Amino acid sequence: MIVLMSWRNIWRNKARSVVIMISIMLGLFAGISILSLYKGMIHSKVRTVIDRESGHIQIHHPKFKDDYLPEFTITDSQAVAKTLQIPNVYAATQRVVTSGMITTTTGSAGVNIYGIDPESEKAISKLDEKIIEGNYFNTSTRNPIVIGKKLATKMKLKLKSKIVLTFMDSTNTMVAAAYRVVAIYESENAPFDERTVYTTKSNLNNLLNIGDKFHEIAVILNHDEDLDAVTAELKSKFPDLLVETWKQVSPETELMVSTTDQYSYIILIIIMLALAFGIINTMLMAILERTREIGMLVALGMNKLKLFTLILSETLFLTFAGTPLAILLSYVLITYFNNNGLDLSGFGEDMMKEFGFQNLIYPEFPWDKISGLTAIVSVTAILSGLLPAMKALRLKPTEALRK
Amino acid sequence: MNRSTVIDAHNVSKVYNPDTIPVYAVNNVHLHLERGEFTALVGPSGSGKTTLLNLIGGLDRPDSGEIIINGVDITKLSDNQLIDFRLHNIGFVFQSFNLIPVLTAKENVEMIMHLQRLSKGDRDTRVGQLFDEIQLSDKLNSRPSELSGGQQQRVAVARALASKPQFVLADEPTANLDTKSAFNLLDIMLKLNQEENITFLFSTHDQRVIERARRVITLVDGKIASDTAPVNVATTT
Ligand SMILES: Nc1ncnc2c1ncn2[C@@H]1O[C@H](COP(=O)(O)OP(=O)(O)OP(=O)(O)O)[C@@H](O)[C@H]1O
Ligand SMILES: [Mg+2]
Repeated sequence: MIVLMSWRNIWRNKARSVVIMISIMLGLFAGISILSLYKGMIHSKVRTVIDRESGHIQIHHPKFKDDYLPEFTITDSQAVAKTLQIPNVYAATQRVVTSGMITTTTGSAGVNIYGIDPESEKAISKLDEKIIEGNYFNTSTRNPIVIGKKLATKMKLKLKSKIVLTFMDSTNTMVAAAYRVVAIYESENAPFDERTVYTTKSNLNNLLNIGDKFHEIAVILNHDEDLDAVTAELKSKFPDLLVETWKQVSPETELMVSTTDQYSYIILIIIMLALAFGIINTMLMAILERTREIGMLVALGMNKLKLFTLILSETLFLTFAGTPLAILLSYVLITYFNNNGLDLSGFGEDMMKEFGFQNLIYPEFPWDKISGLTAIVSVTAILSGLLPAMKALRLKPTEALRK
Repeated sequence: MNRSTVIDAHNVSKVYNPDTIPVYAVNNVHLHLERGEFTALVGPSGSGKTTLLNLIGGLDRPDSGEIIINGVDITKLSDNQLIDFRLHNIGFVFQSFNLIPVLTAKENVEMIMHLQRLSKGDRDTRVGQLFDEIQLSDKLNSRPSELSGGQQQRVAVARALASKPQFVLADEPTANLDTKSAFNLLDIMLKLNQEENITFLFSTHDQRVIERARRVITLVDGKIASDTAPVNVATTT
């Protein structure tokens, strides 16, 4: 009976209730849309990191990552072959890695230099697909180098431009070598493009004076779910090496994944907090209008708990009425953009790249957050209902009836 | 049925604004009501009728004195106990806007029994009886807005009786009604009084209503100025 009363009560002032329901609906709709955009962006970011940058797993000499000294190599020449034997490993490649200076006629900059095996690298970072100018290491140029578009722009480099790379070899001797730009690539991650250059492994092997040894194995798996199992297997296979998943290789990405969840909830809480004022206001007005009626209910013997329940369930109805519609509406919209992609280049193509995101976002409906969302909406409803309910409980029947 | 006391009030006083200009709305009143009475409370405007009814009904607390209803001194009850006491012992009919607009006539009456946690079966039986008595069986599912003022007051009487109270308090129940509706309501109240021995205490300004009461208590400035002896009080054995 009390629930029935509260349900009918919210329809007494239809316009006012509908306005608040619509604003809650729009607020939640906006919130869910932002969450799905986040989710889509994070998902594509993780995919980019795994599929086009670091791979699922990387293996190094345990000391290599301390200072990137060339001497800390992986000495087992069969390591890649052994890795490929593990079921669920899709591809693996070896890289020689060092850092140094790039110098041109216009200036110099610090870069990470990768010596790669052009063939097996294709399956890992898909560098060949990122080439926007020139050819992917199939020229006879003696010292070929592939640089990122961002670096090319900054250093005013073109195809066939000559540059000098300077770095330390394994005996701590300074080495300088002249290279010719054979290709320019562009990835989704502009800062990465600016500080990463590629040459061939054999080229760097010679200059670093490390024979045919290498520093890094990058591995791609058949399925993301195999990550832990394969990591464990690699660790047992190479007890002397450092085996890391992409989460350790790219901690900033992992951090982004974990903080996005918190941001999502903060956004929802802020939205609901703003809406709470509307709800409180509506309920206070409703109670003011019904002072006499509430006084009468108390006079007739409705106790405080029941009166509280009445006001609270009115608030819950008011708050939750728009929620299913908001979920449905955002679901429809998100599903559409999930299939067709949402082009955010309107916000500035370069901006998204600066943050390492693609322009085309595929928003994903945040199913995992719907229970959290429901909880936040419930808490909002209950908190917003408290003040009006207190107000109603404080009414004295004799004074209320006089109105 | 034996006569028995339902209301026994001693030295009851209520003062408004005690710190500024004190108003002795009810001033040292003694009141004794037996089961089955049909009593009118009259007096000029501002004489304290509403205040006295509110005190007896446990809606307000006196500044002094005791009010014993069915053996319980209600001035000693806590707020929550008082709400529960009202629910089970006292029926109320107010002057106007008695009914909850979002509930149908039937639901308005049923609500009281719902608060008393009566079963659905019991509620339905009693609703049927009550609507027979107020002659509105055809309006069970009407909203208050679809009922005339007189019909609304009759539903309010049915609601007051729903809890099987010790007595019914009515503050100017006919004040907003035309003559015909007023008499109709009064007839129903009288019939309930005679046939079911329901105790009524009501305030009124209406001379025609006063004439039909069996006992008339007149308040002036918060004091009982006269109390005409009960005539013909239903004292069947
Ligand atoms: N809440 C209040 N605060 C201050 N004074 C009050 C209050 N309620 C009633 N009074 C005063 O108490 C006195 C009695 O009022 P009450 O309403 O009981 O009279 P009444 O006999 O019911 O009058 P009426 O016939 O007009 O309904 C009046 O002087 C009134 O002004
Ligand atoms: Mg009055």
